[in-house]
Amino acid sequence: MKKPTVLALLPSLALAGSLMPSVAMADVSIMYPEFITALVKPGIEAYEANTGIKVNAVKMPTVGYEQRVAVDLAAGTAPDIVVMDSFMVAELASANYLHPLDAQLKGWDQYKYYIKSLLSVASYDDKVYALPTDTDVRMLWYDKSVMKKAGIALPWSPKSWDDVLAASEKIKAQGVPYSFVLPAGTKRAEATTMQGVYMALLGADTPKDDRNRLRNRKEGKWIGDSPALRRTLELYRQVYVEKQLTPASINYETNVDAFVRTAITKHQVGILASGSWEFSCIWDCNGVNLPSVEERNAVLGWAPWPGMGRADTLKTTNISGGWTIGMAQSAKDKKEAFKLLTTIFDHGNFSEWTVAEHRMGVRTDITESPEYTQDAYLAKATKLAENTTSRDTFPGYNVVTQLIQQATGNILDGMSVDDAITEYKESLIDEFGEDQVIVYK
Amino acid sequence: MTINSDQKHTPMATLALVFVAIIWISPFSWLFVNAVDTQATGELRWPQSIGIGNFVSAMSGSAAQQFMNSMILALGTATMTIVVAAGAAYFLSRVYIPGKTTILWALVVMRMMPTNGVLVPIYFTAEKSGLLNPLGVMIALTILNLPFTLLLLKNFFDTVPLELEEAAHVEGASLWEILRHVVLPLSRAGIAVVWFFSFTSAWNEFLFPLIFSRTDSVFPMSMGLYSAFGEHGAIQYGFLAAYSIVYAIPAIGVYFLLRRNMNTGFAGVGVKG
Amino acid sequence: MRKKINPWLAGNIPLLVAVALPAALFLSVLVYFAGWAITFSFTDLETIGRKSVNWDWVGLKNYIRLFTRQGFLQSLWVTVIFTFFSAVIGQTIIGFLLAVALRGKRGLLKTTVEVSIMLGWLLPDIVAAFLWSASASQTGLINRVIIEPLGFAPINFMNDYALVVVIIANTWKGSAWSYLLFSAALDAVPKEIIEAAKVDGTTPIQRLWKVVIPMIRPHIATNMLFITIWTFTYFPLIYALTGGGPGNDTNVLAIFLYQTSFDVHRLGYGSAISVAMLLIVGALSIFYLRLLKEPK
Repeated sequence: MKKPTVLALLPSLALAGSLMPSVAMADVSIMYPEFITALVKPGIEAYEANTGIKVNAVKMPTVGYEQRVAVDLAAGTAPDIVVMDSFMVAELASANYLHPLDAQLKGWDQYKYYIKSLLSVASYDDKVYALPTDTDVRMLWYDKSVMKKAGIALPWSPKSWDDVLAASEKIKAQGVPYSFVLPAGTKRAEATTMQGVYMALLGADTPKDDRNRLRNRKEGKWIGDSPALRRTLELYRQVYVEKQLTPASINYETNVDAFVRTAITKHQVGILASGSWEFSCIWDCNGVNLPSVEERNAVLGWAPWPGMGRADTLKTTNISGGWTIGMAQSAKDKKEAFKLLTTIFDHGNFSEWTVAEHRMGVRTDITESPEYTQDAYLAKATKLAENTTSRDTFPGYNVVTQLIQQATGNILDGMSVDDAITEYKESLIDEFGEDQVIVYK
Repeated sequence: MTINSDQKHTPMATLALVFVAIIWISPFSWLFVNAVDTQATGELRWPQSIGIGNFVSAMSGSAAQQFMNSMILALGTATMTIVVAAGAAYFLSRVYIPGKTTILWALVVMRMMPTNGVLVPIYFTAEKSGLLNPLGVMIALTILNLPFTLLLLKNFFDTVPLELEEAAHVEGASLWEILRHVVLPLSRAGIAVVWFFSFTSAWNEFLFPLIFSRTDSVFPMSMGLYSAFGEHGAIQYGFLAAYSIVYAIPAIGVYFLLRRNMNTGFAGVGVKG
Repeated sequence: MRKKINPWLAGNIPLLVAVALPAALFLSVLVYFAGWAITFSFTDLETIGRKSVNWDWVGLKNYIRLFTRQGFLQSLWVTVIFTFFSAVIGQTIIGFLLAVALRGKRGLLKTTVEVSIMLGWLLPDIVAAFLWSASASQTGLINRVIIEPLGFAPINFMNDYALVVVIIANTWKGSAWSYLLFSAALDAVPKEIIEAAKVDGTTPIQRLWKVVIPMIRPHIATNMLFITIWTFTYFPLIYALTGGGPGNDTNVLAIFLYQTSFDVHRLGYGSAISVAMLLIVGALSIFYLRLLKEPK
């Protein structure tokens, strides 16, 4: 045994010393997912240059990021500043993991520019816990060349679900393998809930009494069964089981987003249910080697999601999410942490990123700037945002969203809508209790 | 299929074996054509333009750092596992403890609890002891390796004849000398196998580095690979393939280094009830 | 095992205890982890949100849900199929056949075959997932080299046969271990016994069945034991390859557990799943160990 041990011992002993420095923490720390580098990194550099304080930055792979944020904050080991999806904010704030920012925000001269209604996704109990990086809208992207091949007039503007299904069938008939990509199942995570379920759900019944949502916000109860939920799952069944417009496996590829985007460049996708970020993200989220706007417009178009087409349903639907940056309760130096936060969101850096990535602005000093208003894409998308809504980010949403994702997965598996709904409702009752779940007939 | 001691294969057997080798290696074709293709698209096709650019980027910058981190992690874990387990395994092998086989097996069975199921207590414990760093990952992996390692090493030590140790003792050797000159040389193959197991499993580990790493300067290659997915951007397949090859090489290298021990080492893996 | 302590150890008991101490400490930590999971399997603890701080005891509720809610039983079935075909059948049989075919041989062919199957084993899980995802895709190796030349339309294997792909991938990845174990075992079978059987006029198959297999029986049981328990809780390859889909087609227990604990954040329920898995694997181990002991 001598050889392996000697071989191994020497370097590991020598290196044991070199491991220690990594334990020492810098004064301010931040964690962010890879895709948002273009916003965060220049901010960190500016902060370091201004203050001379070293920032301990952790750039994480996007895979597993949400889990890491949850475990980190729960254990009190999170970095001072954390980038997170807006749907987590209420949940984390309710457990006291995040630090409310209101007091500090009052002293920041750029806070007044934030559009108040957009701060709600990052608030809990009337306190602001994080600042949004952007907002977004959701729509149906389509490949123009594929549409032409299928003989569909451009610009395409579907008026009902039937229009969407009919177009998809025409596309499928042309041999396009993924004629309608509707995010489904648990691997797509929030994409399933937001880009798929909720966009359909909102247009599946009248908005009265929140019949077209996952939660009745007035009564504060989750909806376990409703005509809208059933119609939405039926839409999934039509797409994946009945008409087989797209193989279910696309939602489970080793790297789903990359697979979908590669398929788009090969003209293998007809319609894609996704969001406003795709105008850059289909090519590159961090804006590297992005084709010109004209080139992109030549390839892709988009249409608002139609309601299902009944008289009492919405004509078009939309829901907004977006990412946020907040401060952990455990941050030691909250003053410096806040300074890092505001340096990232400083007008110059923030507006440059917003415009370059065609993100939808959350501040008037950006949305009213000439660069922003002259961007034709953003102008059109902003219009869509006029009657948008947001997720039911009440504590417990993290469970609800996962359960509805599972319900779509069950449909893909061939389960009936009836059974999938029953399963969904009973799991909701398990979690919240009978009195917290309502049913619409 | 035949059991005899002839040195030659029948032509049929040779053909079958060659076929098996081809089947086993063929999935790698995708990796190689994409790694050497500077315009790789992730498709299986002949390289459009051959170059080593992908390998250069897979071995420089943060990739080089990640390689070193993986090396530290794997060497450290494997070595720690052996150091911690060997003493205890010798103890278990030589000292009579009532019901020790049952205890050992109970530990092995307990270890069968899936890692994901104990991730949270492991994380909290590491946090409380200030071990959210590579050292903590090594310790966590060593703890999880321990029941199996103990069982295997104890079995190896059991096969070392007591008579040899006795003879050395009679000649006046101390316990330390007996261990060094009698026990360890004789169980060398077994230790090599266990070391190799721990090395490869730590080399592959993704989950613990993911939650334990406080800064990206300590990310190992498994995390670098996930980052190379570029979930929200275009995947650079050429880089990914080259990076995968670079990532796979050390484990293969270690195998070749220890290969001649494998057969002897594995002979001891046989479990006694 | 002698009850009397050996003389060269007698004077060194403190030293022996000292070298065993670190392991004892590590093992007690492991026992603590398991105890934690068992304890919290009776609570509604969650990773984030209110119930991460104010959790309650819920008795056996989590365990009852294993059977009354969809998920666990279905995943258990997928796991059983996955484990049986990829480990018990695939890895064991291929490993054994290769060990028999290469027994006592030397030279290039043996090295080539050995290294080829070792490559699968040594390849990091994530890379293996990539290889198989690429090989099984519509423009991948299997379609290009087998399906299309035979005149069939390309098949989307990941959509239609995901579980089969995952089973093949795991067989490909894991056979080396069984091979190494079996070839070591076969080498330990004395040549004289085989020669003697030959003189008795037995066919090679008979020799294998009647002479060799009974002799390496403990190794077969060991192999079964280890690969069953490893495969039963195996996570990274499938998670990267399919994420449990399409639908729930490849949703093995390890993935179901991960989703429950870290996507839905229900740690209490997740712990109950862990404990259930532990009980199943524990029962399997006892079964194998019985198998091991029988001939004595």
